Parts: sequence; C-alpha cells; structure tokens
Amino acid sequence: MIKSKLRIFSLSLVALLVITSSGLVFGAWYLKQLEDKVTEKFEGRKWVFPSKIYSDSYFLYVGANLRIQDLADKLHRLGYFESQSAPKAKGEFRIAAKEGRVDIYLHDFDSPSEKFKGIPIRITLQSGAIAKIENSADGTELLYVELEPELITGLYERIWQERKVVKLAEVPPLVVKTILAVEDERFYSHYGVDPIGVLRAMWVNLRSLSFQQGGSTLTQQLVKNFFLTDERTMSRKIPEAVMALIAERKYSKQVILENYLNEIYLGQRGSQGIFGVWEAAQFYFSKPLTELTVGETALLAGLIRAPNRVSPYRSAEAATRRRNVVLAKLLDDRIITRQQYDAALGEKLPQRSIVKVTNEGPFYVDYLRRELEENYSNAVLTKEGLRIFSSLDLQLQRTAERALVEGLKKLEETHPALRHKGDEDGLEGAIVVLRPQTGEIKAMVGGRNYGRSQFNRVFQAKRQPGSVFKPFVYLAALMYGGQSGTKYSPDTVINDSQFTWSYDGQEWQPHNYNDEYFGAVTFRRALENSLNSATSRVAQDVGIKRVRDLAHRLGIQSSLPAVPALALGAAEVTPLEVAVAYATLANNGVRPRPLAIKQVVDQNTKVLEKRDVRLEQVISPQLAYAMNQLLKGVLDRGTGVGARRLGFTRPAAGKTGTTNDYKDAWFVGYTPDLLAVVWVGFDGPKKIGLSGAEAALPIWTEFMKNATASMPVTDFVGPAIPPDSDDGKCGPSVRDGETADPCAPTVTPAKASAGT
Amino acid sequence: MSLAAWSYGCAPQTPYHTPMPPAPAVKIPPAPSSPKQEASPQPLPQEAKIREQDLRSKTPAALPPAKTTREATSKASVGEPGSGSEPSPAQPPPLADDSSLLAKITTGTTPQRAASLRLTDEGRRILDAGDPAKALTRLEKTIVIDSTNGYGYFYLAKAQYRLGRHKESLNFLDIAESRIGAEPFWLSEIYALRGENFRALGQLQRAETSYNQAMRLNSGNRTAAEALARMQGETQPATK
Repeated sequence: MIKSKLRIFSLSLVALLVITSSGLVFGAWYLKQLEDKVTEKFEGRKWVFPSKIYSDSYFLYVGANLRIQDLADKLHRLGYFESQSAPKAKGEFRIAAKEGRVDIYLHDFDSPSEKFKGIPIRITLQSGAIAKIENSADGTELLYVELEPELITGLYERIWQERKVVKLAEVPPLVVKTILAVEDERFYSHYGVDPIGVLRAMWVNLRSLSFQQGGSTLTQQLVKNFFLTDERTMSRKIPEAVMALIAERKYSKQVILENYLNEIYLGQRGSQGIFGVWEAAQFYFSKPLTELTVGETALLAGLIRAPNRVSPYRSAEAATRRRNVVLAKLLDDRIITRQQYDAALGEKLPQRSIVKVTNEGPFYVDYLRRELEENYSNAVLTKEGLRIFSSLDLQLQRTAERALVEGLKKLEETHPALRHKGDEDGLEGAIVVLRPQTGEIKAMVGGRNYGRSQFNRVFQAKRQPGSVFKPFVYLAALMYGGQSGTKYSPDTVINDSQFTWSYDGQEWQPHNYNDEYFGAVTFRRALENSLNSATSRVAQDVGIKRVRDLAHRLGIQSSLPAVPALALGAAEVTPLEVAVAYATLANNGVRPRPLAIKQVVDQNTKVLEKRDVRLEQVISPQLAYAMNQLLKGVLDRGTGVGARRLGFTRPAAGKTGTTNDYKDAWFVGYTPDLLAVVWVGFDGPKKIGLSGAEAALPIWTEFMKNATASMPVTDFVGPAIPPDSDDGKCGPSVRDGETADPCAPTVTPAKASAGT
Repeated sequence: MSLAAWSYGCAPQTPYHTPMPPAPAVKIPPAPSSPKQEASPQPLPQEAKIREQDLRSKTPAALPPAKTTREATSKASVGEPGSGSEPSPAQPPPLADDSSLLAKITTGTTPQRAASLRLTDEGRRILDAGDPAKALTRLEKTIVIDSTNGYGYFYLAKAQYRLGRHKESLNFLDIAESRIGAEPFWLSEIYALRGENFRALGQLQRAETSYNQAMRLNSGNRTAAEALARMQGETQPATK
C-alpha cells in the first residue's frame, strides 16, 4: 500500500517536473519569439511611406487672366478655408469680389527646388486680370506667387499611412509633457507595464462612471500599434504586456517615446491615415510642431484617445471640450501657468476645410505609373515615400472628363444606334491635352469610365487617324515640292478627281466622301474640305516616303508603311502621338517632348529625377506658320466650322478625321497655348457611323470653350526675319495682323480658285 | 522669307462666319503632266533657318576697315579654318548694349510679355548667381506665359549650357533665333553661345565659325572675343 502510494507520488513528481520543464522551455521559446519580434521592429524598418503624386503648381503672376471663382475653387481644393474677415492664420482666405480683391494667407510649401514660407498676400484684379500682388505684411509688391500643387493620389500597398518622422529633439518639450500627462504620466517610473497606473485609471473611471483614463502605458500602446490588433482581450493584452516589458528592457525611454510620437494614429483624411505628431500638426493646424500654441498642443494630445470623434473637422464643440480637459490637467500638474491656461482657453479653434484625396485623373495616374516603373520598383514606389510632381492640371482634367462623358452621352441620346446593348462594348472616347510650348501633358482621359475599363485609349489604343493625317501630306508638299517640279503654295491648283495610283505592281484608288469630286481646287481648299482624291494626288507627287518621314519627324513614333493609303491615315497611331505631332505645328515647328513627370524627390527632398522641357526645331517656323494658317481655315471655313457654330471663337487651327469605314472619329485642334485631341469610337470592330465633325468636334469644342475661358486671346505669330536675310533690307519682322512686308511679292488673300 | 510673306498674305480676309460658298462641280480637261498653277511666289526654301553657311557667303553692308592689330589679323575669316594668316573682314563698331530685358517693357507691352520678361530677368539673375537648375525651373515658366518671348529661350539655352547639356542648349538657341533673330545684338549673343556649346562638344571648327559670326554682328561681343582669343592662344605655338 505504502509502496503504491510512493509510486504514485514519484510518478506525479516526474509528471510535474516534465510539465514544468516543458512549460519553461515553451515559455523561453515564446519569450524569445516576442523578443525577436520587438528587436526586428525597433531596429529594422518601422514604417513604410507611400509615394505621393502631385499636380502641377498653380502660378499666379501680374498680368495673368484670372477668374475669382477659379481661384476660390483652387483654394478650397488645397484645403484653404474661406473666412469672412481678413485671414489671420495660414490656410485662410477672403474674397472681396466687388472690390476685385482676394486676401490669402499662404500655406508653407516645399517645392523640390526651394522652400516657400507662408505669407499673407493680397491679389488685386482689374478687368479680369491680376493687376497687383503684394505681401500684406510689409506691402512689398510681388511679381508672382505659386500655390502648392494638389495631392492627387498616393501609391501604397494596403493602407495609406501619412507621416513624417521626427527626432525626439525636434518635438517641443511642451508637446512631450502634454502627451505624457494625458497618456502616461508615470512613463519615466514604470518598466513598460504600470500596475499602479491601471489601478488609478480604474478608480478615476469608476468615480466618473465613464472612460476617462486608460491603464495602458505609452509602451503598451506603441507595442499594440506596432504588432497587434485593437481587440481588448486577454489573448492580446498578455503578449502586449510582455512585449512592452521586453521593449523597456532593451531600449531607452527616449527611443520608446520617439517611436511613439511618430507611430501614433491621429486622424483620417479620406483614404489617408494621419500618423505621428508632425503630420497631425500640419493636418489640423497647417503648422510645424514648433509653432503650436498651448491650446493647439493640448488639442493635439487630446486627440490621441479618439482622433475621429473629437476631431475639430467633425465637431468644434467636442474638440474644444477635449482640449479644455487636457488644459485643466496641464494646469493641475503645473505644466502650464494660470496665465497660459486662461489664454489657451480663449484660443479659437482653427477653421479648416478638410480636403480629401479623391484619386482624380486615374488614367493620368496610370500613365505616370508606367513612366515611373521604368526607373522605380513597386517596392520603392509604395514604401519609400517619394514625391512625384507632374504636369497635371486638375482643373483641365475635370473639364476634359466632363466634356467627354457628357459628349458621349449626348451622342448616344441623339443616335440611339450607338447605345450599349447587353454584352456589347459601349461607345468610348479619349481626350489628351497638351501645352504646345512645353509638351506638358495637362490632362488625359483614357476612357469614359475608369471603373469599368482601365484601358487607356490615349496611349494604349492604336487607331487609324484618317484625315487627321492629311496635314502631313500638305506640309511635305510645301516643304519639298512635287517630284513633278510643282512648287506648292496654298493657291496652287490641284485636281480633285478620280485616279489610280500604281505602286509596287498594285493599284489603289482613293475615293471622296459620297464619291463627290470637285475638279480643280486650290491646295488650301483641298485641305480645308479634306478632299481624299486631291490629297492623294499631292501625296503621289511629293512621294509617300517623304510624307512618312515627315510624320516621324513631327513626332509620330509608330511604324508607318510607305503605301499610298498612308496619305489618308490608314496606319494606326495613338492619340498621344497625334497630339505631339500637331503640337510641333502649334509651337512654330518645335517638337516638344511629352512631359508628364516633372520631378521625383525622395523623403529627404533630394531630387532623384528632374525632367526638363525638351524642345527641338524640326521644321522651319515659316513652314509651321504656313500650316497653322491653312489649318485655321479648317475651322473658319472647312470641315471644322462646326466649332465656330458651337461658340468657340478664338483663333485656332485644327483638323477633323474620319476613317473610311467610320470606325474612328477624330478632332485635333489647338490655339497657340493649348492643344487637345479627341477620339471617339468603339473598342471593337463596330462602326460609329459618324464623322469626326459630328462625333469628336463637339466634345473638343465644349472642352476648349471651358478650358480657355480665362486665358488671354492669342494668335499664331510668324517668325522673326533676321537682319541679314535676303529681304532684310525691307525692314524688320512682320507680325500677323500687321501690314505685310511691302517688299514681299504680292500674294492674293484666300479666295476660291477658278472653277471652285 | 517669301514663304512667310505669302503666309501672312494668306491670312483670312473675311471673318469665319461668312464661309466661302461651295464650289460648283465643273468638268475639267485632262490634267497636264505638270499641273497648272497661278503665278506663285519665289520657290519655298526647304529649311529657312539662318545657319552659319548662309552667312558665310554674305558680306555685311558697310564695314569699317579691317584692323591691323595682330589679334585682328590672326582671327580667321568667316567660314574659313583658323589659319591666322589672312586678314579678317573689317568688324563693325560694337552695338549698343541691348541686354536689359526690363527696358523692353513699355506701355505698349502686353501683360503676358511683361510678366514673361520680368520672369526671364529673374531667371537670368538666378543663373548669374550660379544656380542653373533653379534658373531652369523659373525660365521654363517664361515660355508658358509667353511662348513668343525669345529671350526666355535664350536664357533657357544658357541654363542648359551651364548644366552641361549642350545639345539641349543648341535646340533652345535655334528657337531663340527664330524669335529674336531680327535683333542683331541678340543674334550675336545666340551665335556666341552656340560657339560655346560647339566648343564644349569638341567641335572647334564650328565653334570658331559661330564666334566669328557673333563678332561680325557685334564686335563688342565679349563672349565671342574672349573665346576667339583663347582659341588663338591654344593654337599658336609656344614661344621662348
């Protein structure tokens, strides 16, 4: 009996020993796991920084045309708050429309090349243009001001955490003391977990019958944010406590505090989460940390508990109440004086408009991404916090999107056959907008609905340009003349009749629209009215290879077969290529490089990449000017005259384009300062049955009317005449609109040729 | 030039809202081998840009007698290699300094041109202060505001030159020439800067030609004069 009892006892002892040792081994292993996790986090990469894409900055200069409403819209989008009184803080503005004045207290703004400190300015307008810009603080007159670019979107993996990392030494002592007073006043006394703090919190909460204090230390909060979820369960609390103890054992209080100040979640701006005290100071107060007042510091610290609930963007009252609670605590703890307390209580909360990042211009962003991916990996783009400055003009982008969507909808309403049926692809379109002088891509709409189809028809879709290609034929004719010896000019008479073009043992016959032929027509008229047969004759005389080479020289990059049908636009190109080629004409024969990305800057403001304006004179300015005059005729008298009837009255040049099978409708049009290409059609083989003038031109017109409304009216200007040119003796350069050079041969103005 | 002239003449005389009536269909005789055309202006130049070779064959209208200094006689003639053995054509007197951009702003200047000129001047100052990258950013805005401001293109060319981007600089100079090539002072500056670019690219022959063209237009062009003197010093054999 005793023996069996002894046996049971020893077996139990062994079992206990085994269990205990297993427990110890497992415990040690688990602790090691947690320690490794803590070490990896504290000593490795703690945060990822999404890259951000910005629009172009907004340049206001004395002399610029400006509509007050456009400026107001822009300021709203930039997060400025419209005040009824004179702006007193950065980020406020006031409009006195009757007096023609706008007062703005500018934000601080870091451009890649320089830092701009926010100053109060006054813009005075006269007759719709900026007459004066002055620094309101000291009365200095300014030549220009630059409003910061708008944040379009971020490139991130799962969530967008917006933060700027600061060193502890960069955080004002008051900010640190306030946060500690509110969140963990025994921070320097405990070892990561504070049982006394837990008990006190319980007591305070019981007394007030509300949740006034938490029992977690700063270290525990940090650990929770780094590794764990928000759930308040034992399965989360225990590892949290253990990891906090480990962190305190391995790292100093300064390190823990610094990480906390950078990690803490402090609000939301649309898809962007606001993390860290620096970012929060910018988000709520548009200020660096060092400029926060006592009241603002108190509010910042008070937000930690429930940033969205007590956010001043949501409820000024809730934010004020929370701030005052914190101020009372600071006074109690003698961190601030009674004077400071009273002054802080009297501070008005900053008035702010929350501006969410709305991810506009998705097609443009896709284009940017493609360009970026040539030099930067996805990991770099989503983690290294690059800032990408683009050429995008959000105002033009919105105008283009609206024009396309509404234009296509209108087409479907007036032509029911175009409506989407069942599984069929719907009617689609694309717009690309360029500034000819610089090649900047100001807007890009690759389709009707990005959510439905991300296919970007501006640069991914190759379509036949049809008659949009014809100007290259006429340009080649002016440039080279004909192989027959003909020296072409706008008044040269050419034959618009049926003919057969033999080449490489084959025959090709161009046909006019409706098989209607006009006989002897002028070069000018043939282009204005887009006559196929006449154009083909010119192309045959000039040589199709010359036409092809010239198109390449202007900016068409796609392969172009040197066959007769090329003259009528049978080779496929993208709208972006067409835009560049026509921009060359608009820019006096200077081909611009299309520019979407302007600068890429890293987190330390180091410029990684700067893409400058690249221009090259590829045809003479005289020839370009001549073509512009001819293409003005297209709008004024020719197939593009519909633009005038629809109310677009500015000097402009352009060309309609319709493919033979009516699958593609194009319009390209430009002023000296802005160019837009519009394409309309179906993605599949379905025909739209409408010409460029019917389908694309109205969309172009609607866009340009709105886009140029606030721009000065300009016309194409001819080139200067050098002092020692052959005709230099006759005087200086001739400008459009002035009397022609008296020494030049007499030229008859545009008129119908004999027989037309 | 003639192309430009008839182009100007070709500007529409009637407003757009009174379009030409459509042509009635007519029967035409079979087309001759070379199409008829009305009396046309002079043949169009294929490329009407002014180039060094165009000026090579031209002599200036009235030149002062050639200098007899060693420096003048050692300068190469226009378009010829720098032999230093033939007397150079007589240099005209220096032109008045026309470099002030702000002086070009008058009561008749459009607001856009005025703004563009002021900004160009600011860009020039930044460039002179030694920050070509910042100057470039500023100067790019000048041509956005007014793409006819040739001075903006000139200083863009200069900024590109200072950044060592010679091909881009030459491109901008081509454009500047088409805008302000009618102004001898500035055309001289354009040639001088062209010369600097060619020299940096190792194209010494073209550099020298450009410098000489600059000097022919404005004998007071310091850039060209100093560069030619430097080149002369480099090609002359060392003396004991």
